[in-house]
Amino acid sequence: MPQTAPNIEKLDEHLLEVVRALHGAVKQGVSHSDDPKVVEKSIGDCKEILDVIMAGRVSEWLN
Amino acid sequence: MFTDKIEIKDFDKMDPEYKELLGRVLTIQADCEIGGPHLYVEKMLPAAPTKLDQLIVARTAAEEIDHFRKVARVAGDIGVDVSFVLSQPNEKRFVDAFRGLITTWEDNAVFGFLIDRVGRYQLEEFYDCSYLPLQRILPDIVTEELGHIEYGYNKTLELLSKGDKQKERAQSAIDYWYVRALDMFGRSGSARAERFRYWGLKRRSNEQAREDYIKEVNPILTSMGLKVPDPLKGRRYV
Repeated sequence: MPQTAPNIEKLDEHLLEVVRALHGAVKQGVSHSDDPKVVEKSIGDCKEILDVIMAGRVSEWLN
Repeated sequence: MFTDKIEIKDFDKMDPEYKELLGRVLTIQADCEIGGPHLYVEKMLPAAPTKLDQLIVARTAAEEIDHFRKVARVAGDIGVDVSFVLSQPNEKRFVDAFRGLITTWEDNAVFGFLIDRVGRYQLEEFYDCSYLPLQRILPDIVTEELGHIEYGYNKTLELLSKGDKQKERAQSAIDYWYVRALDMFGRSGSARAERFRYWGLKRRSNEQAREDYIKEVNPILTSMGLKVPDPLKGRRYV
């Protein structure tokens, strides 16, 4: 078997959590589309999560 | 032509060229998956025209991050670390279309309609490919990409229905992204593309895939009342 890349397991787990959190926030917003406060909060949550991913500080996520 | 099907356990026994090409194609695919969100999240998440569109921008980004994760896992399992693409600036992306920033809704809509469609073509290259772990992650990824393409198409149609000025802006976005889409297929007659095909890592030549894309997209553009841009104007890889 080939040697795996360092931290692949940790990175996979972290990104899976990120993706689940994003989908959760989107779902919350979409299912309460008639409640502006919930929608705003959902969008804010998505932004917060995505800002971290876009910043790309991978070593910080993994530690 | 190499016709075997390879599992992770067989990877160490493979020819160095196969290992190199598989690592390369996975790295580029990972870069393209995460390259999308890096293009549109910053400006489009806050500026999408409706709250629902904002949420869909976030959902699209979530799906692309998940595609990255799946490709990174396949790469990581053979020792190829693609995590560096998570932090590299857009100007260093492997593919030209991902260098820059999407700042208008027209560009965002057309990006989904035209560039995610190229993404689908790139993924289809791996259908029935020689590396089975790559083949296995494809169905879910392609299904989600189809959703992105449809959303981009619908949003472009929506723009076209909003009068001449919006139509002009949508056409400008089409003119910009169409040539980038064609360039994404790479150079015609590429020797490396032939090696990908030899090893069963791709199905079509660059020019064949591009031709198939043109045959699919041009009639759609015409049916939407848009002009098909000059396929050679501004191209870098002919």
